[in-house]
Amino acid sequence: MTWQARALWPLLSLAGLFAVWAVAAWLAASDLLPGPGAVWQSFERELAGDYLTHMGATLLRVAAAFVLAMGIGSAIGIALGMSEAADRIFGGWLVFFLNLPALVTIILCYVWFGLLESAAIAAVAINKIPNVATTLREGGRALSRDLAEMAHVFGMGWRVRMVHVVLPQLAPFFAVAARNGLALVWKIVLVVELLGRPNGIGFAIHQLFQDFDVAGILAYALGFILVVQAVEIFVLGPWERAANRWRR
Amino acid sequence: MSGLAVALEAKRFGARAVLGSIRFEIPPGERVALLGPSGIGKSTLLALIAGTEPDVQGRIERPAGRIAMVFQTPRLLPWRTLLENILLVPGSGGEAHARALLAQVGLSEAADQHPEKVSLGMQRRAALARAMAIEPALVLMDEPLVSLDPASAAEMRRLLVAMLDRTGAAALIATHDRGEALALADRVLMMGGQPATITSDQRSPLDRSRRADPAAVRAQQDAWFGHG
Repeated sequence: MTWQARALWPLLSLAGLFAVWAVAAWLAASDLLPGPGAVWQSFERELAGDYLTHMGATLLRVAAAFVLAMGIGSAIGIALGMSEAADRIFGGWLVFFLNLPALVTIILCYVWFGLLESAAIAAVAINKIPNVATTLREGGRALSRDLAEMAHVFGMGWRVRMVHVVLPQLAPFFAVAARNGLALVWKIVLVVELLGRPNGIGFAIHQLFQDFDVAGILAYALGFILVVQAVEIFVLGPWERAANRWRR
Repeated sequence: MSGLAVALEAKRFGARAVLGSIRFEIPPGERVALLGPSGIGKSTLLALIAGTEPDVQGRIERPAGRIAMVFQTPRLLPWRTLLENILLVPGSGGEAHARALLAQVGLSEAADQHPEKVSLGMQRRAALARAMAIEPALVLMDEPLVSLDPASAAEMRRLLVAMLDRTGAAALIATHDRGEALALADRVLMMGGQPATITSDQRSPLDRSRRADPAAVRAQQDAWFGHG
């Protein structure tokens, strides 16, 4: 597919969603379900205020938590996938943390470490690490024994094995973890902000909630969805295509 | 210079003994065929010598110098080009050397292609070039001609001999094909039994120049193995 065709279908699909929304809002005719026009007005109003500050604060938190979670989670997952002993010992821990509710982690982090930026980011990362680890563990298990033997026979060093033998095999698993991760991380970041940060989209939505300002809430949510879509289209997508160039 | 010396007592996978007592030596430069039916344990023996199968009862003295391997499947890194696959091997001697080797196996045009975009025969030849790039003292080959069409197999056989001639490497070539053993080896080890042992160890009746002639190989094939 050309890039125009690749871009066209998601756009048409989104346009359909907007149409359904507009019709529903028109039928409801209520402030509690504002249409696209009302949301756009709220967006312009908020943009004149602190919209970009809040957006920036949230994006920084998302980026920090995402990088932390991907780094630590991948290391844990690959280690568990490659070593059966490690998986036997720590596999249960993974299930424990996977099922620990996000809200509990967040509250415990705030209680133990205080209402700090580092506690907020740690809470989000801890929520995401088990997911990344589980995905990458599958990747570690699926590593080719044939290629590992080849690398051994030809005396490839640790760095060459990692960069040229192991990591390329894990690329699809990184892509899955990253894509799921971004969506999950930003949802949790909003909760963290709502509970204990003085800025960010979560904080702003909390204030708008006090006034039942649904149009304002949607304006923040849509702005963020656009940013995440842009990351998908301009960062993850091209990276994945480059990583898959060798396929037949 | 010392060669390869294998003095194996047994190799088990769990309770199952795959290999029994196996003793043989390969002096530097000698080409030895390891002949036996599929599933007899030839690959296991090669893995023990290569060191990818660490759990062994007995002793394996490896030759001074490096050991290379041509696997039954090419085992190239699919996300790297044929050239990069050679360059990633430590001691493969730089890009000019790697390109020259690829040219020798008829792959100068394909050097910058990824493995999955070329034929199996070409992948096999690239794997051969990779093995020879490190100037090994010993090359282990696991069914190097299997599942190639007759023309590709003949070409691969010719290249294989040319590479061994040029580097002077010793070779241990696992095969189930008598004709292939006679066409490639100075000496033929036959494997058989359960657990498998070496049932015969004989010099080939054909010298290096005569075995290049397919007719001579065919003429010897039945007669020699008949009372071998």
